[in-house]
Amino acid sequence: MDDLLADFIAETREMLEASQSEIIDWEADPSDRSRLDAIFRFVHTVKGNCGFFDFPRLERLSHAAEDALADVRADRREPNAQLVSAVLAIMDRIGEMTDAIESGEEFPEGGDDALIRALASSDEETGIVESKPAGIEDLTAGQDNSKGQKRNQSASANARTIRLPTELLDRVMSGVSDMVLARNDLAHRLRQSGNQPTIDGPFERLTTILGDVREAITRMRMQRIEHLFGIFPRLVRDLSNELGKQVLIDLEGGDVELDREMVEMIRDPLTHIVRNALDHGIEKPAERLKAGKREIGLLTIAARQSGNKISIVITDDGRGLDAEKIGAKAIENGLVTQSALDAMSREDILQLVFEPGLSTAKEVSSLSGRGVGLDVVRDNIEKVGGAIKVTSTPGLGSLFYLNIPLTLSIISGVTVGVGSQTFAIPQSYIEEIVQLEVDTLDYTLMGERGLVTFRGQRVPCLALSDLLMVESDMELEAQTAVMIRLANGDLIAMIVDQVHNIGDLVVKPLPPVITKSEYYGGATQLDDGTPILVLDVPQIALNAGLISDTRNQGRSSQLDSVAPSETGIYVMLFKGLDSRQYAMRMGVIQRIETIESAAIDRSGSHDRIVVNDRVLPLIGLDAGYQLAENLRVLRIGDGTSELAYAISRVDDAVMIEDDLAPANGEEEIEGLAIIEGSPVAVIDSFALFARHAQSAPNISGLRCKIPDSDWARTILAPLVSKCGYAIISEDSKEPVDLAIQMDDSEIEIEAARRVITLHEQETAKSDNADRIYRYDQDALVAALTEAKAKLAPSKSGESEEAA
Amino acid sequence: MDLLVLIQIDGRQCALRAVDVQSVMELEAITPVPHSPLHVLGLSTKRSQTLTVVDCRSALGLTSHPNPMGQRAAVIRQDEHSCALLVDEIDDVEKALSDVSPISEGFGAQWASMAVGQIETAQGAALLLDVEKLVEGPVEDAKAA
Repeated sequence: MDDLLADFIAETREMLEASQSEIIDWEADPSDRSRLDAIFRFVHTVKGNCGFFDFPRLERLSHAAEDALADVRADRREPNAQLVSAVLAIMDRIGEMTDAIESGEEFPEGGDDALIRALASSDEETGIVESKPAGIEDLTAGQDNSKGQKRNQSASANARTIRLPTELLDRVMSGVSDMVLARNDLAHRLRQSGNQPTIDGPFERLTTILGDVREAITRMRMQRIEHLFGIFPRLVRDLSNELGKQVLIDLEGGDVELDREMVEMIRDPLTHIVRNALDHGIEKPAERLKAGKREIGLLTIAARQSGNKISIVITDDGRGLDAEKIGAKAIENGLVTQSALDAMSREDILQLVFEPGLSTAKEVSSLSGRGVGLDVVRDNIEKVGGAIKVTSTPGLGSLFYLNIPLTLSIISGVTVGVGSQTFAIPQSYIEEIVQLEVDTLDYTLMGERGLVTFRGQRVPCLALSDLLMVESDMELEAQTAVMIRLANGDLIAMIVDQVHNIGDLVVKPLPPVITKSEYYGGATQLDDGTPILVLDVPQIALNAGLISDTRNQGRSSQLDSVAPSETGIYVMLFKGLDSRQYAMRMGVIQRIETIESAAIDRSGSHDRIVVNDRVLPLIGLDAGYQLAENLRVLRIGDGTSELAYAISRVDDAVMIEDDLAPANGEEEIEGLAIIEGSPVAVIDSFALFARHAQSAPNISGLRCKIPDSDWARTILAPLVSKCGYAIISEDSKEPVDLAIQMDDSEIEIEAARRVITLHEQETAKSDNADRIYRYDQDALVAALTEAKAKLAPSKSGESEEAA
Repeated sequence: MDLLVLIQIDGRQCALRAVDVQSVMELEAITPVPHSPLHVLGLSTKRSQTLTVVDCRSALGLTSHPNPMGQRAAVIRQDEHSCALLVDEIDDVEKALSDVSPISEGFGAQWASMAVGQIETAQGAALLLDVEKLVEGPVEDAKAA
């Protein structure tokens, strides 16, 4: 409501300002009726809005002025100077009242009648009203002082929000984007010219400021999604009337903000889905009653922000999607074959509704089903880097799930090289980056189409050099495959020479003369200012014929070759850095990554590695192993903790069906399997995690109070928290499980279940295990561990059960 | 329609409206754009602004420019995009001394399709070119794409 009120005030004020010049012209020549329209529109709008907001005084004033002006427009009355002054006085009064509404003050009572009388009387004998304008002037003059003050106040209130034309915002935004590019260029040149402390400092400052400005501007462009939601209640009302249905709409998450441009881009797709839901989803009241549902259908639209994505979920409680009908229709239209359909899950079949040329509607209604279908919706969503999915329960309704990025203009992207050229791929499409040499992807040519085997799945391949006719003399072996997950779930491999970098890209649109080739989504610039093209991945895949028919092929071949069966273990074969053949259970493998050796820390007793800002224990590296520039690692996880396993190359994914031969004496080996005549050591995942997994901190859930001193905070606290305690400061009144105090402290610790006292001096060992010299680490750790075991027996029991 | 930028293409004197031309630049590195029409040489940058480089010779159906590097190009802005029009030479800014007169037969189909008309300047008659059409490229080209 507050937003609406602010809109009303802003609109009133804007119109008031806009009609100022009209008023002055009209005043100069009351008989000039062309000036009247703007003024009439003003009072008319105010009147309409007032009724909505319940401002009876404003309404009465504007109504009176409107009546008078309507008479003039209808030639029932001759305008004269008195009428002009009377109308002007009313307009001034409206302006003042608006100011008062905005600042939340009461407008002084009275005076309205005199203004209205002035209007009415001016059409009587001019002689009578001769004195009236003076009366009006008195009236306004009497308020002059307070008015002046009020104007000042409202002026300061106005300063908090201003309305701006959106083109101006766009210009500022693109200016800032250009500034970012110019900064990158400058940064590049500065790097080339070496260290220059006098310039580097201010430059750093500039970078920081620019970052802040960019963020602020991005926020300026943000719009609440409720602006978009606002159209739906009306749409739903009109449509349900037309269709003879009863539908209630529920909107959630209207305060989620996203780029104004993005709001525009998703307007049509959302409208289409809502129309569809009303038209095909929700049944007529009689039908609903028969099905045991409420007469009134429910349509929910909910928006949520998660990271830099917005998800919008549209649910209806209608009849749901009929997978059989969709499947039958898809076969009829040649989208899939019967055998492919048989192999598809229900979920996959439902996604076929987004394929072109599939409409299950029996009759074409006035609303949807005119060939402009969900395929267009998906295209538009994908165009802005989003994704759409549908799930449905027959008889209970369907759910459309949209995922869209927050903004259009800055995306995260990967730059890839092919031949001498560089291109960018939006990161949202990239599933994984795989080196062909290291992870034998088993490249084969089927006709003209290349195929690679990725995790037991045949994936169609596109060589970027062929695609873009760029010459590349690199051996296939040395190239890299960028695994791309399209929005419909299909996987394709794009073969490039190198992957350069990942970073934020400021994407600029391209002129139609370039975009019509349908290969590029935009242009961006590298740090040195070189322009590069951003690939339009879905369009390329579509043009290469990789979208609809290969999906089923890919899926079914996966099912044929390596469907996990009950009897065997599904493993990934790889060669360790010790050149031995290993197998790792597929279930624990999260992904394969190439890590720069700079991210490896071998200084401690255990090797560690930094992956995506997390430190993971690194295993599989012999003490004497000389690191090359890059290291391939398997990231494996047990659900809570994660490990990195260094490997030299990935071979294949296979099913081991025979029993394993025992591997005597090798702790981390579950057993030996024979694969194609060679022994393969199957890694014992349990032993691996048991030995190397990092215990999560605070796992005990115990709380320990420590003394309030620098020493305790900086030196003692890390040790205590490493032992699994949460640190609570001394002045906190909360109950704790354990308290540590210095022996000279006088503070009474009542709330603790146990107390450990530390000595300043190293004295003879005390018999009491809870009195320890403060640097006797072994004793302290022993005491903390023992305390933990005693204090939390029930909790550790629970966690074991859970594990 | 007052000022004109006089340019040379294949020995012919041509003109662009000065209001259309933002600046003149020397072409440095050009990023090729695979699959773009022949007359689009690629992308370049000027003051961190991405430009589409258009070879006017190719757009007019002539042999393409032998060596675009270091050549001068007129920078124009069209909708949201900036383009650099590569021509043989950029001469001068001159006042138009006449109105634009429509061109008659015999100018050659390509020239005629890209021209607004003929105009008089102090340096003689010039063919006033339509920048929008130059950027669009030859008509057959558009159909083929």
